[in-house]
Parts: sequence; structure tokens; C-alpha cells
Amino acid sequence: MEDFLKEMADILDEESVNESDRLDGFDAWDSLAILSVIAMADSRYRAAFSAQQVRAAGTVGDLYRLLSASAKAG
Amino acid sequence: MTTHEPNLLNLAGSHYLITGAGSGIGRATAALFASLGARVTLVDCDEAPLAELIDNLPNGPHARRVYDLADVEGIDDLVRDIVSANGRLHGMVHAAGTQVVMPARDIKPEMWRRILAVNTEAALALARNMARKRVCQGGGSVVFISSVMAMAGSAGSVAYSMSKAALHGMARSLALELAPLSVRVNCIAPGFVRTPMLERLERTWDASQRDAVEALHPLGFGEAQDIAHAAAFLAAATGRWITGTVLVVDGGYLAK
Repeated sequence: MEDFLKEMADILDEESVNESDRLDGFDAWDSLAILSVIAMADSRYRAAFSAQQVRAAGTVGDLYRLLSASAKAG
Repeated sequence: MTTHEPNLLNLAGSHYLITGAGSGIGRATAALFASLGARVTLVDCDEAPLAELIDNLPNGPHARRVYDLADVEGIDDLVRDIVSANGRLHGMVHAAGTQVVMPARDIKPEMWRRILAVNTEAALALARNMARKRVCQGGGSVVFISSVMAMAGSAGSVAYSMSKAALHGMARSLALELAPLSVRVNCIAPGFVRTPMLERLERTWDASQRDAVEALHPLGFGEAQDIAHAAAFLAAATGRWITGTVLVVDGGYLAK
């Protein structure tokens, strides 16, 4: 989880982020950030997500659970 | 009276090295070149698809090498081994490629270095061997598979675009260096063609995104064979006066 939060902080251009933070509350949460999350999911979790799936995640924690579930399923 | 032109696409008696031969454009090119009479040496980082492909190629004998082209330093040895086992080359098609769709603000140096190594540096490391008499049979054709992304921007493709645009510059300068040896050097710039690389991208798109990308191509997505046909045209006698250029094969992507 810690590595994931660091990665998300980089993507969102923040010093740090928390599990409960809402994604749409970040200025940097845009279509390019979504591309970065998709690439991160592919490289770290070998998981393929659509922009729609990533966009549907409400919080940073939701995103983590989405990626983790996919990694376990794979 | 009817006169019959010889088959200008005949590649009989030639030996081509084809990278990325395990799938997509490389695989289609290997199959087409073999069917036109060439012997081919297939290079890919995955063994299984090479073994399956080589068993189904006509003519021959063909050969295969499992190699990760990100190891640029080892490419001279790879080429030397291929030539020593299978004979000198008439040319090569560098179709191996890798891509990470990620915006510039987030892509990591190790990611863009791998893209540059496989897509660009390996192309130079392979092609410069055509200047060596022990490698080159005498005359021939080098084809780099680039991309429309070398000529038109696309968000999230900065590293890929950089790696492919570099091929265009490299092809022009190499064409001048190798022309005295009758070795021609060209690029093919494909649009989106149905390959495993596109399938990976498609898994990250929803239906409307997929339709939007296909709509960028007035003729729709291409097939790997469309690019293989262009590679054969450049390799064969049909391409004998073409060097240092980029052949765009994109279903109209760049026409807009």
C-alpha cells in the first residue's frame, strides 16, 4: 500500500496522498493522470484497465482495491 | 503479343533477418518473405511463437534466435552468430518494438530507456552490420518499422514518438553511408494495425475511445499484412531506387 500511495502522489503531483482522499478533489486528476494509472497497473500489476474503470474509482483506496483485486485474480 | 514481366517481388536466394518475428508486423513480414522465396532468420524475445512459426514457413531452411534487443551491446555478437550459422544477409526488417502509454510528466527514465533501446538503438546496432563484408552479401535492403507517431503527436506517446522519429533521421544518414555498398535503408510508418500491441492498448480503451481511434484512419485499422506488403516492396527489386525515405502505410491517418 505504501508504494502505491507514493506512486499515486507522484501521479497527482502531491507530496503525499491518503487512502481516503477523493480522486476528483485533486487538480491533477485528469485524462493524462488516468493514462498514468493504467500504465502503472500494467507495469506493476500486469492488469489491464479501461479509462472508464479507473474513472469510476471514487478514492485513492478504491483504486488500490481495484488494482489489488485484479492482481489476485490474475 | 503478351509480354510477361518477371516476378519483381521474388526474394529467392536472399537471406533476411527479421526482428519482432514472434507476433504482429514482424511475424507477417517473416511469413511473406518466406513465401516469396527468402530464407529468414527470426529474432524475438519469446521462444514459443518463433518455434511455432518456423515450422509453418515455406522454403527455407530458416533459423530462429531468442534475444532481448534491449541488450544493445550484444547485438554485434548476435549478428555474427547468425551469419556464421546461416550465411550472410541481404537485409533486415526491424519490426521489434515496445511501447508504454504514459504522459511525459509521469514516465520513468527506465521506461523510456527501454523503449529507446529496443525501438531505436537496436535498429542502429543491427543495421550498421550491413556495412561489414562478413555480414552483408552485397547489396540489400534495411527496413525500420517506425510509426505515424513519429510524424503526428499523440498524448501519452512521448517516448514512443521520440523513439520512432529517431528512426527517420537514422534511416536518412545510414542510407547515405550504405549507398556505396548498394544497401538501401528506409522506414515504413504504419498507422494502427491489428497486432498484439494494439490489443493491449484496446484493453485500456472503452468502446467510444476505440471507435474514435479507428475513425482517425479513413480506411479503418490496418492488418499486419498491409505493412508486410510494403516491406516486401522495399526489399525486392521493386524498391531498387528507393532509399533514405519513409513510406507511410496508415489507412489515411496522416492525410487529415
